[in-house]
Amino acid sequence: MRSTYFIPGAFSLFLVVAIAVPALAASPTDEIKQTTNKILSVVTNPALKAPSKSEEREKLMRQAVDERFDWEEMARRSLAIHWAKRTPKEKKQFVRLFADLVERTYLKKIEDYSGEKVLYEGEIKEGDYATVRVKIVTRRGEDIPVEYRLKQQGGWFIYDVSIEGVSLVNNYRIQFHSIISQSSYENLVKRLKEKVELK
Amino acid sequence: MKTYSHHWVMEVAMKKFDLELAVGLFIVAGIVCLGYLSIKLGKLEIAGERGYEIYGVFSNVGGLKMGASVEIAGVTVGRVKSIKLDNYEAHVTLNLPTGLKIQEDAIASIKTRGLIGEKYIDITPGGSEKAIEPKGRIRETLPAIDVEELISKFVFGKI
Repeated sequence: MRSTYFIPGAFSLFLVVAIAVPALAASPTDEIKQTTNKILSVVTNPALKAPSKSEEREKLMRQAVDERFDWEEMARRSLAIHWAKRTPKEKKQFVRLFADLVERTYLKKIEDYSGEKVLYEGEIKEGDYATVRVKIVTRRGEDIPVEYRLKQQGGWFIYDVSIEGVSLVNNYRIQFHSIISQSSYENLVKRLKEKVELK
Repeated sequence: MKTYSHHWVMEVAMKKFDLELAVGLFIVAGIVCLGYLSIKLGKLEIAGERGYEIYGVFSNVGGLKMGASVEIAGVTVGRVKSIKLDNYEAHVTLNLPTGLKIQEDAIASIKTRGLIGEKYIDITPGGSEKAIEPKGRIRETLPAIDVEELISKFVFGKI
């Protein structure tokens, strides 16, 4: 190639790559679809149906969930005004407890999956924040609106889920605040530990 | 023709004057009361102009009215200043007192007084260190829940 074409050529190539790379990045809806499909494939996998396989099932489902949920963000939002007072060690412990609580509570419900349809109704992106609207159609024909709230940090991660307009974070925020103000943070941790171990 | 004594005419005139005076005083008293009431009520509106404003976008406000209260922990801290339809969603402006910081991850939801009463806004404080600036937006909003719709949805399903 003649030397005069080299620089513009390299620049055009750079431009093409620079434009293509963001376009290749997954959208919030894609990320949710990916995680949902992963979880559903575990739930519907006949090879994992046996009771002996239940631990493996749970492990695989939790892995899929851990990939998409930003547990620290959710835990901080749920602990709300009480988060700032915690030591780094307490925060770490709380995030893990919170993740366990949510996983155990909701994975149980996912186990009841029996062919419900998941419809992706649309997404709204505003800078680093996004909302993905999903509709779950039950076998009885009920429409259950679910809204995922995501934040972009090198990929889209969930920081809240609303079902029928009821937010998971708000639900726990109110309960945690109530328990802490009526007893103590230590008592809340104790109760969470009990709940997580019982299940 | 009977002539009326000067004295008698003066008496009648005085009585008329007393009556008119009484009526006049009564009217003035009425106006003063009205004025007092207006100022008292007007002060509520003027007080609302102090503080700062933030807004939230809701997919459904369920009949929330202008002037509805904004509550935190059950305490009225502000008022709904205006509600406008913007791109088919409700753009609600809230008036809050100056010293009150609303965290960036605070959640604003539409609640009902006793399940079927008037609507108001409830804010649960968040854990973020950043506060929403005046004229800023409260991002996390939850719509009003239509209880009847919910009941019919799940009752219908059970058949």
